[in-house]
Amino acid sequence: MESLGIILVSLAGVVIFMLGVPIMLVIGLWSIAASLLIDLRLANVSFTLFEGLNFFGLLALPLFILTGDLINAAGIAKRLTEFAYSVLGWMRGGLAMAALAACGLFAAISGSNSATAATIGSIMHPEMKENGYDGRFSAATVAAGGVVGIIIPPSIIFTVYGFIMNQSISELFIAGLVPGIMMVMAMMVAAWFFARRNKWGTIIKLDPVRIIKTGASAWLGFVAIFMILWGIYTGVFSPTEAAGVAAGFCLLSGIFITRQIKLREIPSILMKSGQIAGILGPLVAVSVVMQQVLSALGANEVVADFITSFGGYYAVLFACMAVVFVAGMVLESLPVTLILAPILGPIALDVGIHPVHFGVVFLVGAAIGFITPPYGLNLYVASSVTGIPYLRIVPYILPYLFALLTAWLLIALLPELSMYLVGLQRDSLGLTPY
Amino acid sequence: MGYLVKLVRWLDENAEKTVIVVAYATMAAIIFVEVIRRYLFKEQAAWSTTIPVYLFLWIAWVGAAYNVRKRAHLRFEEFRGRMSYGWQFAMLMLDAVLWLVMAAVVLRYAVEYVQLLEMNWAIVPGTDSVMQWWFYMATPIGWGLLVVRLMQNVWEDVSDFRNGRPLRMSMNLNAD
Repeated sequence: MESLGIILVSLAGVVIFMLGVPIMLVIGLWSIAASLLIDLRLANVSFTLFEGLNFFGLLALPLFILTGDLINAAGIAKRLTEFAYSVLGWMRGGLAMAALAACGLFAAISGSNSATAATIGSIMHPEMKENGYDGRFSAATVAAGGVVGIIIPPSIIFTVYGFIMNQSISELFIAGLVPGIMMVMAMMVAAWFFARRNKWGTIIKLDPVRIIKTGASAWLGFVAIFMILWGIYTGVFSPTEAAGVAAGFCLLSGIFITRQIKLREIPSILMKSGQIAGILGPLVAVSVVMQQVLSALGANEVVADFITSFGGYYAVLFACMAVVFVAGMVLESLPVTLILAPILGPIALDVGIHPVHFGVVFLVGAAIGFITPPYGLNLYVASSVTGIPYLRIVPYILPYLFALLTAWLLIALLPELSMYLVGLQRDSLGLTPY
Repeated sequence: MGYLVKLVRWLDENAEKTVIVVAYATMAAIIFVEVIRRYLFKEQAAWSTTIPVYLFLWIAWVGAAYNVRKRAHLRFEEFRGRMSYGWQFAMLMLDAVLWLVMAAVVLRYAVEYVQLLEMNWAIVPGTDSVMQWWFYMATPIGWGLLVVRLMQNVWEDVSDFRNGRPLRMSMNLNAD
């Protein structure tokens, strides 16, 4: 009887979700209804909405959101972009490749996907158009480049994943580095092919003086990247502390060095971050409640039995990837993570996939969802930044999608890509190896 | 009377914003300063790992109310966007009822919990006299505000619907 009730309640949840009820509310009400069915105390829901977020490590979330908004306001992104162009401009399609590389560099300070696409897009799109690129291709380029925003550390979604899955956020960050760089390179190859075939763009000479000059003016960006990566890798900072340092650094350099942040603008920057935190925080909180209910239900074991009956390691790996990919077509990465990770994670662990490696595979898939129609957040962001209608961008995203899917497959099949650096780090900290 | 109206207007515009900006700035400042202090001087205040988290909880729940007012909570919009005018209005009312149900459950137990902490004189770890219940008020106050904001939206929606004006469906905000 109980399981029939749970099925009906879950169906009702799917229906109100489809009708456009806010996702946070859908998850919250499902948890309340399911608690009633299995006689869990309702006080627990209310209690967990506070206690579920009462965790120091989770502070990396609001702090990295703030860092993303500050780095933007400080004008550091523009300088990183100029540097990337001076390095890559000598190749055919150099400007597109520079846009992708700039996304990668920006991602190494910011933990957000749409901020990456929006920031680099607003800088690069006008230049690419001037340089003879098709506007639709240039919009697709920044949309695709934004995907690595959450894979190259730091990352907001990695933080959420580590929190709800009880994995070390530092290790997830480190594991995402090589896969993120690989994704950037795969997309660069796609850009090169595409630009060469269509003879887009002019070529600039490779000029060491220019590289040094632009590199020097982007020094603030490099300092920030170095501080975050070094701090997390050596264990000097926890991710939360790294986020706090990065936010402080971006703020101070914006006020005193680039002088692009005025003191009176600070409240509106904080409010912008605050609004995002006011969406993500409550969503994470209700997801913690949902997870408690799920584990009280024993739902994970049921699903695990069902999926593992199909086969072993590779069958489960590919099945999970397919589920994440399909979910990413209609949902944003955060709901995909909050809803699916607690269900798929334990199954993957069951067949012997390393939890950190699985986290990377899962999140790369969720990130690819940013550019898969019908609902691809980055396509909307690129469309709003460039003024090109959403549907016109879609065909031009396909080469990038192909490149990213290829990279994803490699990342999934070769755990060393994610785990090698994690292993090195554990060695250097004197922790037990995996 | 004039002052009262002005005050209410000001609160309507700025209540959540003030809380969020102050809490955000304080939270970030504490973390930043304490990391530097720990790294350079090897000292750190014990409450620097608890109070910032509580401030984040204020941002989260007051922010939840703000985002209800701004209609910015994440949702799946493909179908709703294609519905007829009457159905869209019905969907807005459905949202409102569901928010109220959840708010009722959360508020009932959140208030109880805060009272419990108050009676027990629970103190924030790492401090001598900072009461825990001050911070735990984040959930009841956040959800209380949320209900007020919801009612404002319902008022707007009903009057839009009666006058045949376009409904305010949602604001697009890029959260990841």
